[in-house]
Amino acid sequence: MFEARLTQGGLLKKLLDAVKDLVTDGNFDCSTTGFGLQAMDTSHVSLVSMMLRSDGFDHYRCDRNISMGMNLANMAKMLKCANDKDIVTMKAEDQGDTITFMFESENQERISDFELKLMDIDSEQLGIPDTEYTATVRMPSSEFQRICKDLASIGDTVLISVTKDGVKFSTSGDIGSANITIRQSTSADKPEDNTLIDMQEPVALTFALRYLNSFAKATPLSPTVTLSMSKELPVVVEYRISDIGHISFYLAPKIEDEEMDDNE
Amino acid sequence: MGIKNLTKLLGDHAPGCCREQAFDNYFGRRIAVDASMHIYQFLVVVGRTGEQGLTSEAGDDTSHLQGMFYRTAKMLEAGIKPVYVFDGKPPAMKKQELAKRTERRDEATEALEEAKETGGEADVAKYSKRTVRVTQQHNEECRRLLRLMGVPVVEAPSEAEAQCAQMCKEGMVYGTASEDMDSLTFATPKLIRNLMKPVTQNVPINEYDYDKVLEGLKLTPDQFVDLCILCGCDYLGTIKGIGGMRALTLIQKHGSLEKVLANLDSGKYDVPDPFPYEEARRMFKEPEVLRGDALPALKWGAADEDGLVKFLVEDKNFSEERIRKVVEKINASRSKATQGRLESFFGPVTMKSSTAGSKRKEPPKPAKGKGAAVKKGEVGGVSKGGGKKK
Repeated sequence: MFEARLTQGGLLKKLLDAVKDLVTDGNFDCSTTGFGLQAMDTSHVSLVSMMLRSDGFDHYRCDRNISMGMNLANMAKMLKCANDKDIVTMKAEDQGDTITFMFESENQERISDFELKLMDIDSEQLGIPDTEYTATVRMPSSEFQRICKDLASIGDTVLISVTKDGVKFSTSGDIGSANITIRQSTSADKPEDNTLIDMQEPVALTFALRYLNSFAKATPLSPTVTLSMSKELPVVVEYRISDIGHISFYLAPKIEDEEMDDNE
Repeated sequence: MGIKNLTKLLGDHAPGCCREQAFDNYFGRRIAVDASMHIYQFLVVVGRTGEQGLTSEAGDDTSHLQGMFYRTAKMLEAGIKPVYVFDGKPPAMKKQELAKRTERRDEATEALEEAKETGGEADVAKYSKRTVRVTQQHNEECRRLLRLMGVPVVEAPSEAEAQCAQMCKEGMVYGTASEDMDSLTFATPKLIRNLMKPVTQNVPINEYDYDKVLEGLKLTPDQFVDLCILCGCDYLGTIKGIGGMRALTLIQKHGSLEKVLANLDSGKYDVPDPFPYEEARRMFKEPEVLRGDALPALKWGAADEDGLVKFLVEDKNFSEERIRKVVEKINASRSKATQGRLESFFGPVTMKSSTAGSKRKEPPKPAKGKGAAVKKGEVGGVSKGGGKKK
């Protein structure tokens, strides 16, 4: 038996919006730790890993670890029917073949049940090693979203370079080029409006903007975003969701090709 | 061609072995392409109206060049690194099959003449397709084209599919692009079908995983080879009355071809005589291929624009503007950095299955649809055309 009740029901809706364009279906893992998902896009360029800890729910019960296969677009269709302020409860039997989403309105006057058929799927997983990243940048998530959107209208890829003064996003395309630099700042009234840079050594990596823009759909989940980078490693774009968990995206960088022979 | 009914058999009994993939997902991958098979397909399909394929002003066939040039360009633009493998000398065991093909071609030539006289247009198109033959010149021209495009070419000592499989096993390439299911019998770890189909047809790419084929059919590699021989391959005749399904049951029950044959009701089934299955087995398991150091290093060079224009435009009457445009795109894509994949940083992908909802297994896909549907369509077409259905 799995049962989880979440007062801030809109959260699930936002989570689904953030991942449904990246992956089509995935196995949601329910354990005593919490409710999580790891999934990759079909080209294996990006990976999403999310976790909602059990202590963040108002009520959480999981008798046995289960892994529920769901089509994310279909799950999103159902969650879309919840109001942002609804209380959402997820329920599933250990051996069942459905999951139920129950939405209760704030004043308890409207109660709806949506039952989604589970799928038996084989999802592709990666073991992500623990890494000490040489550069991390914490910045306002809306700022990151805007940068990705603006740059995508100029070019396909972005070079992210972190130095101790700031973080620079550069792109170029047929029509020209663009650079946006965000400096380290600590003076804003609200702490989440600051940009903090923690860096052992400068790092510069190139990424496809298409994916970063897709990650930025998680912006409503958190006022800040953290980018963690090391030389020749995938970037981690993490959104912490207050009191309950996080959603992290991993994106493989662009690499130089050694097999192209230029001497011919 | 290939192994009879294997596609359907896999669709029914090992549905997990085949995944649909998007063309663009192959960026950065090296892929061994069975050249001879695709040249044939291009000659049959590309630009064909009625009896005519594409030709230059001088009357030479150009369908193969058109197909090869644009499909290869498409791959290069997507960041795919193709290596073309050409057939060498056909193995002695295939002679019978090849003789049959020549015979069929001769029959088709006759039927074509007849159709031309009676004037069934659909028939003319149909039979003319069957008279298509890949000549030495076609192959030579394709080699020249590929070299000009900067794409590596490998000459197989014998069967191209076997060579592709070997390269894939050695990790030189990610997979084998072929339409022939033989590639799986040669144990290529990954077989990619429909990669070379024109974009306009919009057919999804199917990627077969060899290990999952075995897992799904519950067979060992040796048993799988036996199954393919029993289903009917290019090297041997078939046993009448044994189709894919029965072959699978028999191999699963008896464990090997020897035992299947020993237990076969000789009154009911007619085993062709001779039936040198041991030799066929050896052909699949120890084919004549280049291995290890004997294989050339693979390099992808820049496309030679002037060389291509000279060959395709001056000799073969292609449009200069188009050729130059494509070459420009190919060479532009070379300068771009390639997108990395997460597994090259985080180690291999593992599979995880759902635990809930597992009772509701997906029903086996209805026989892959394609083969059956196309055949039905053809039959319909013939009778409608008022043709020579004997």
